Amino acid sequence: MRDDVRLVSDLSALATGVVFIVGLVVLGFRLAQIQLVDAAKYLEDGSRQAARRVQTAGPRGRIIARDGTVLADNRASVSIVVSPEGFQRRNWTETVSAISNAIESVASAIETPSPLSANAIARHVRQQLARPLVVWRDVGDEQIARLVERESEFPGFECVETEERTYPEGRLAAHVIGYVGRGETTSAAGEKFNFRDKEMKGRAGLEAFYDGYLRGSPGELSVTVDARGFAVAEETVVEARRGPDLKLTIDPKIQRSVERQLRGEYAACAVMDPRDGAVLALASAPAYDLNLLVPRLTPEMQERYVGNHACRNRACFETYAPGSTFKPITALAGLAAGRSAFAEYECTGVFSLAGMRLHCARRWGHGPIDMRHALKESCNTYFCNLGSEIGTNALFAAARAFGLGEKTGLDFPQDSAGVVPSAEFKRRNYNLPWYAGDLAQASIGQGQLLVTPLQMARVAGAIGTGRLVRPHLRADAPVESSPVPFSQRQLAVVREGMRMVVDGGTGKLAGEGVAVPVAGKTGTAEVGRGATRRKNTWFIAYAPAENPTVAVAMVVENGMSGGGTTAPKVGEVLKTIFGEL
Amino acid sequence: MKFLEYIKRFNWITFAAMLALIALGTAAIYSAGNARSGELFHSMWKSNLGTAVFGLAVYLALAFFDYRKYITLSAIPAYALAVVLLVVVLSIGTSTYGGKRWLWFFQPSEVSKLCVISMLAWLFGPTDSPPWMRGFRGFLLAAALVGVPAVLILKEPDLGTMLTLMPATALMLFVARVWRRALIVALCAAVVGGTALLGAVYEAEKPGVPEARREAIMKYVPLKPHQVKRVRVFLFPDEDPNAAGYNRRQALISIGSGGFSGKGFRRGETNHLKYLPQSISMNDFIFCVYAEEAGFVGSVLLLALFGALLVPCAWTAYVVTDGTGRLLALGVSTLVFAHVFINIAMSVGLVPITGLPLPFISAGRTFLVTVMAGLGIVQSVSIHGRETRT
Repeated sequence: MRDDVRLVSDLSALATGVVFIVGLVVLGFRLAQIQLVDAAKYLEDGSRQAARRVQTAGPRGRIIARDGTVLADNRASVSIVVSPEGFQRRNWTETVSAISNAIESVASAIETPSPLSANAIARHVRQQLARPLVVWRDVGDEQIARLVERESEFPGFECVETEERTYPEGRLAAHVIGYVGRGETTSAAGEKFNFRDKEMKGRAGLEAFYDGYLRGSPGELSVTVDARGFAVAEETVVEARRGPDLKLTIDPKIQRSVERQLRGEYAACAVMDPRDGAVLALASAPAYDLNLLVPRLTPEMQERYVGNHACRNRACFETYAPGSTFKPITALAGLAAGRSAFAEYECTGVFSLAGMRLHCARRWGHGPIDMRHALKESCNTYFCNLGSEIGTNALFAAARAFGLGEKTGLDFPQDSAGVVPSAEFKRRNYNLPWYAGDLAQASIGQGQLLVTPLQMARVAGAIGTGRLVRPHLRADAPVESSPVPFSQRQLAVVREGMRMVVDGGTGKLAGEGVAVPVAGKTGTAEVGRGATRRKNTWFIAYAPAENPTVAVAMVVENGMSGGGTTAPKVGEVLKTIFGEL
Repeated sequence: MKFLEYIKRFNWITFAAMLALIALGTAAIYSAGNARSGELFHSMWKSNLGTAVFGLAVYLALAFFDYRKYITLSAIPAYALAVVLLVVVLSIGTSTYGGKRWLWFFQPSEVSKLCVISMLAWLFGPTDSPPWMRGFRGFLLAAALVGVPAVLILKEPDLGTMLTLMPATALMLFVARVWRRALIVALCAAVVGGTALLGAVYEAEKPGVPEARREAIMKYVPLKPHQVKRVRVFLFPDEDPNAAGYNRRQALISIGSGGFSGKGFRRGETNHLKYLPQSISMNDFIFCVYAEEAGFVGSVLLLALFGALLVPCAWTAYVVTDGTGRLLALGVSTLVFAHVFINIAMSVGLVPITGLPLPFISAGRTFLVTVMAGLGIVQSVSIHGRETRT
């Protein structure tokens, strides 16, 4: 019995030792599975949960004019940021209020109120915890000095260098350049980032149209975060790079000259090279200094300038009745329809049709008049008769041949098509049938016809060269042009007429003192009725008359007449371009 | 006995393994503590090392003196004191993490386990004890002696600590031949019961079970909600990895990402970036902290050290001639082994998550001293328990 007891006990002791060993070996095998076989998977799981991808913004490219003048640039600017890592508290509410209190004490130290609401701070902690929070943007030297002086009192706060947009030429080509706001970086589809830094975003004008081009190529930051999401370390994966410069066709000399002529008016002007479509100047008045919109577009500036109807872009967004500047097109339509340039109409000073009376500029009439002289004197009667004779389709086919009623294809967000009406258009919009009177009105550029100054500059250029080009603002944009469907002989008649306009005709003030011969056409479009009746005065031109290199269209709202108000302004612009006699 | 004889009989392997484990534990606590914020945690390794020095004194003292003398003297008073302390802790103890376990700096439940083991060894060890002790009445006595502290510990509640006591006491009673049939039946019942429990939770919680049926089954499952949650995480590990399964997932990530050679001392990201739950990284999850930084090589070293610590204890049980000594050696080593096995198995996802410290590695001073005292007693068995054989 005793021996039996001993034996079993001994074996139990040994068995216990074996169980210990077996148990440890089982654990060893399980560990081999986790730490050897599946190690890569767990390593990846671990780094994935701790790594955050951040897209950083690259500096935006500049906008440069034809002659190298910088129109939009970046300037160094300092922002004060706070990193949430230093404010870890037991819960999020306490963390937010710790950050909030720290911001308040810095605010009193630098004597600048915090622009952030408690909600904005809470939102940052909730959504962007691993990133520094930008509190004050674009701070001045004095504020920086105050903070640096007491830096040790405010752990977690830091001055960081950033960039702000700046417009060295102020209001020059303001409508063309546009302005920027701030937004999160964007990236190719499929790219996933946990956080995106803020970058400049074009909100209007070329800044908006070429936003993707000007934008810096984004960088990537890998931020290691702890279990609560606070940043622990960061590493640059991809360096952000500066965006390319955008070179424009705009010639600052011409642009400045144009803007000088428009100052004080509600007016617009487009100047382009009719050979390749390069827009040399595109101006709208009134304009504003773009630097007023930096560092951010305030509601006040929005109301006063950017969102103000008075400051809208008149050069390629607003549309006007072309008035008499349309007459060259009517003339070409007539020639194309087989009418002779020498055929005369009797002008009695008024054109009557079905009870409608259209007066000619010359109250007592021009008498019998041919096409060239009708252009020179801007005879309404002649063109009403001509238009009525050839019919709606022939007239508007010519208008369309000059690109009216469709977008010009300008590389710009605002590019109005204008209106070339039709019976269908009139019924849809006015619920009225197309009368013979509408055709007569359209023949002299009145009625429902609507065009932009840019479109008319293009028309002037196309008459001068025989080719209709697509206007463009970017210097290296491809040249696109197509011939207008008129013979050289037909065009020659109209060119002669337009030359006569400047050479002693209604637009003679446009050519006075200009070193090269100028061809052009005046226009005085009547808009509104009764008390709101006013005149928008036009002048379109190309120069030199032979082999033109410049085409211009200018409209001045509430002018006296195309020849009196606008033609001299265009003359000044042409003098700047070609020199004075 | 001559001093030279002491040296010869002293089990150097288990002693060296223990010292090495204390060293690794100090490093692990240092790393885990530094990941937390608070001076208390940063200096935890120092206080733990101090406790280990105190534990070493206790160990050497208990090893030096003949265990038979002090066990005879202290078994009943120590047991009585342990039960009293367990009652006291339930009434005035400090609550932490949903349990009342602390009496100031001290956890009576840890000490009570050693008291139960020495009580059982003292009572059932001697081979000349009356025959009734090997029968039904002896079993009832043993059950009462184990049951009273076990129920008190369960009241704290500390299911894990209670469970580690079971294999040790069962083995002791088995070796002491106390009504073996009942023991075997109880063992089978435990296996069947455990399986049934797991099966019931599985049936109730598996996807697509209607709410009514789930509640009908859960009515018969004697588990607390947090325990059901742990079992569920164990059964369905991929369900809800961010909430209920978070701890398990982070434990696996930290151990697995350590790879073959580990990330290096104080370089464990899961721990230092606080993904590993901070409240338990120094205690229940310390193995994860260690395995992430020491890698597979370090993990195997740790297992080998535990083997070197515990297998010689079983050997001591084999070679001693004294019944009490054998029961002490087996009881203590099985108790320590249960902690080691359940803690690591839980960290590597082999068993549901239970709050248990890893001997020598976890920060926990009462437990450290308790384990060292127990191993000191085993050392004493190794030195003094063989005299009668020669």
